[in-house]
Amino acid sequence: MIAALRKRSWITTVILLVAFAAATLFAAKANFGLQSVITVTAIFVVLALSLDLVAGVVGLYSLGHAGLFAIGAYGTTLLARDLHLNVFLLLPIVIIAAALVGALLGALSLRVSGLYFAMTTFIFTIIVYVTLSNSAWTMGLQGLPGPLFPNFPRDVQDIFGRSVIWAVAAVVLITIVIVWSIRRSAFYPVLLAVRDAEPYARANGVRTSLVKVGIFALSAGLAGMAGWAFSFLVYQSPGQFGWVQSVNLLVMVIIGGMNTRLGPILGAVLVGIFPFVVKIDPFLQEVVFGAVFVIVVVFFPRGIIGLVDLVVRKIRSAMGRGTTAVPTVEPVAVAPAASAATTRGGDIALSAKGIGFSYVPGVPVLRDIDMVVRRGTIHGLIGPNGSGKSTLVNLISGELRPVQGEIELNGDRVEQLSAPSRPAHGLMRTFQSAVLVRELSILENTTVGLYSTVKRIAARSVIWPLLPSARRDSRMLREKAGAALESVGLQKSWHGTQLRDVPHGVEQLTQLASSIVSDPSVLVLDEPLAGLSGAEVTHVAEILHRLRERGVTVIVIEHQTRFIFDNCDDVTVLAAGELVTSGPAAEVRANARVREVYLGQ
Amino acid sequence: MLQVLLSGLTVGTIYGLVAMAFAVVFYVTKVVNFATGQLLMVSILLTAGLVRLGLPDWLGVGIALIASTVLGVIIYFVAVRPVLKFDRFSFAWLVSTLGIAIVIQATFAIIFGPASQPFPRGLHQIPVHLPGATLTVQEILTLVVGALAVLGWELVRRKTLVGKLGMAISTDPEIASTFGANVTAYAVGAFAIGGFLAGLAGILVGPITYGNPYLGDTYGISGFIALMIGGIQRPAAAMGGGLILGVLSIAANSYIGAQASDWFPFVLVLLVLLLAPNGVFASGDSLRKLFRRRSSLTVGGRA
Repeated sequence: MIAALRKRSWITTVILLVAFAAATLFAAKANFGLQSVITVTAIFVVLALSLDLVAGVVGLYSLGHAGLFAIGAYGTTLLARDLHLNVFLLLPIVIIAAALVGALLGALSLRVSGLYFAMTTFIFTIIVYVTLSNSAWTMGLQGLPGPLFPNFPRDVQDIFGRSVIWAVAAVVLITIVIVWSIRRSAFYPVLLAVRDAEPYARANGVRTSLVKVGIFALSAGLAGMAGWAFSFLVYQSPGQFGWVQSVNLLVMVIIGGMNTRLGPILGAVLVGIFPFVVKIDPFLQEVVFGAVFVIVVVFFPRGIIGLVDLVVRKIRSAMGRGTTAVPTVEPVAVAPAASAATTRGGDIALSAKGIGFSYVPGVPVLRDIDMVVRRGTIHGLIGPNGSGKSTLVNLISGELRPVQGEIELNGDRVEQLSAPSRPAHGLMRTFQSAVLVRELSILENTTVGLYSTVKRIAARSVIWPLLPSARRDSRMLREKAGAALESVGLQKSWHGTQLRDVPHGVEQLTQLASSIVSDPSVLVLDEPLAGLSGAEVTHVAEILHRLRERGVTVIVIEHQTRFIFDNCDDVTVLAAGELVTSGPAAEVRANARVREVYLGQ
Repeated sequence: MLQVLLSGLTVGTIYGLVAMAFAVVFYVTKVVNFATGQLLMVSILLTAGLVRLGLPDWLGVGIALIASTVLGVIIYFVAVRPVLKFDRFSFAWLVSTLGIAIVIQATFAIIFGPASQPFPRGLHQIPVHLPGATLTVQEILTLVVGALAVLGWELVRRKTLVGKLGMAISTDPEIASTFGANVTAYAVGAFAIGGFLAGLAGILVGPITYGNPYLGDTYGISGFIALMIGGIQRPAAAMGGGLILGVLSIAANSYIGAQASDWFPFVLVLLVLLLAPNGVFASGDSLRKLFRRRSSLTVGGRA
């Protein structure tokens, strides 16, 4: 059946390609007026798709796309005019230039926040506009004509029409292939996690800042490519590249539907043909234009595709697919713990020595903490509220760095490593209140846990469906994620459900599954029982015991002391930032100070 | 020299008031109202129009100020509130406030035409001679209004219950609303103050610029740059950014060349973005951060 499906998707692809070529041929032979509508709309399609890649997929509202577009267009025109470079040589040059500018803008502003990114890119577009309008080199506000695109030879032209139309079509096709490939790739869930669940992504080994900058650079490169094609089409003047154009592009993305495959294309077509269809007084047209911006955002925040999706979902749920399955425990075969790191470090999986930490100088949160976690044990970490448990876990997982002391993980010193580099050392963690990606299925959420095990996932994502190795990886990811979900008791019927539709307990179990899917040697669970029912607590206990059988070392933070003492081999107790005691559960339980500070006896 | 400084401070106060208008709105709602510059333009053009219709100057100014204040609130209800209601963390207001800016600008261009309108000269005709510099009464008034705006804001924020509740809302609106803070009322208030400050800046700068519908773009962008220079988190810092921008722009004009103020602000803001991305006067300012980085061995920072 899979083979049949693949065959069908191949046939669909071929049909689409033939239709695309036919449309291009039609456009290339159409009259000049129609050609200008089609080409301008096509350029908008490229820009909207590239903008959706940052705005929709990683949630960064770029107002810099008009400026990046200008780099492509003016770059091509000016370099062709002054240096007489071949237009095909100019294509990679302007793409790389725009991508570098994008990377720089991203690296500068993302140090601060996503809002600063929007504001910085806004200023960037204004700077480009001001430079273009005031420089004699760019002919100021008057603008200048672009280079000529080489024509086909006479007899070819008779068959295929105007050559530049084919160039525009190629640019559109390349953009669609790249953007849709990324959407189909195993990298896509990771990108959504970067957008919606940054701590979760980092804990799974994703260098989120690098990913954001990289995606923006790619998007900027595509905008530069759009500018390259645009330069052959019309007379360029700064007015085409002002901030209004940037907002215009965002409106296209929103009106069609953010983070959808067809939305940006639909939006670009609608907004692109608007001035050709509605011909009124230019000032009045501007009023209508601005009003459309507001109306779209206020009344159609999901866009057309989003609205259609919503209706489809409603109809589907009305037709009754009311799965009220309850997570049930299913015994699974003990998989061999295959992590290479397990052989290192001997009997000690993790040790922290002399850890000191403070958020504000002079106010220590942790003082001189020692903790040794034996391999293959369940190690409890308890303490009253504010005792520093979560801080200690954040130090172990790399979200924070200690002021003093050292942390050894499987024999390697790790205290100076960042959070995303620790999964490679065999450590995974979960968070107290799981924040996962609501619009992905629980299976897709789980695959994020395998990020650090898939090589060159980001680089390959731009042509993902075309690579046999990538298709194999996709299959492998789904199989492993499915097995991990089943090992925490979530059966097949759950796997396709979107995370926003599942109860809290299932969300917690999904997080657990994604943290064990990559076979970590050390697993840190921050209050895994928060908000779980009695039955679910028993269920989690069973999972922990099964993990121990597989040789996984588990560190659990928990408030339910009963759970800790019933299930842990060793227990560490913290109070007010200091170590109370650490050792075998029975001894700790009998410790007089523990009874005093924690058990209240 | 003194002339450059004083002229710079005067222009800077205008930028600073616009930047404060941005920052006050941001302080409460975490929204950047991109139509702020257009509110300045509205107050200038309305005053010009009303005076031309025969109203006394003071009445024109009064009505214009009320209009820019009310328009600020209207922007909140039309372009911001529905967006935040759909998703409190979305940035879609970028699009809707910029859309409103276009609507206001184009509407005023239709009503008044794209040409410049005369603005009542008022206090701008009266020169005041100082040793080494000449200002007009209007310019002195500008400096005073700017100082009062910052002082008034800081006093209300720190000393009154209204201000403290505002701080709480600024930090976390959801928690603030659990102890009875009316978040919507504060948002309305912020947009009203923002509209008023932008309108005030318009009245003060009107005699110099005259009225035309594209002033909003010019002053909106300058105010926005001042905001980035000073720091968006605190309105007083935004005013500081305005003063820096004003003085340095005028200095660039006098010492580099007459066209320098066209590009100079952008160089300045790029430098600030590079060196102190949170703004020069941000609470976690760059100097302190540098100091902290050096002593990170004893303090420990976020990884």
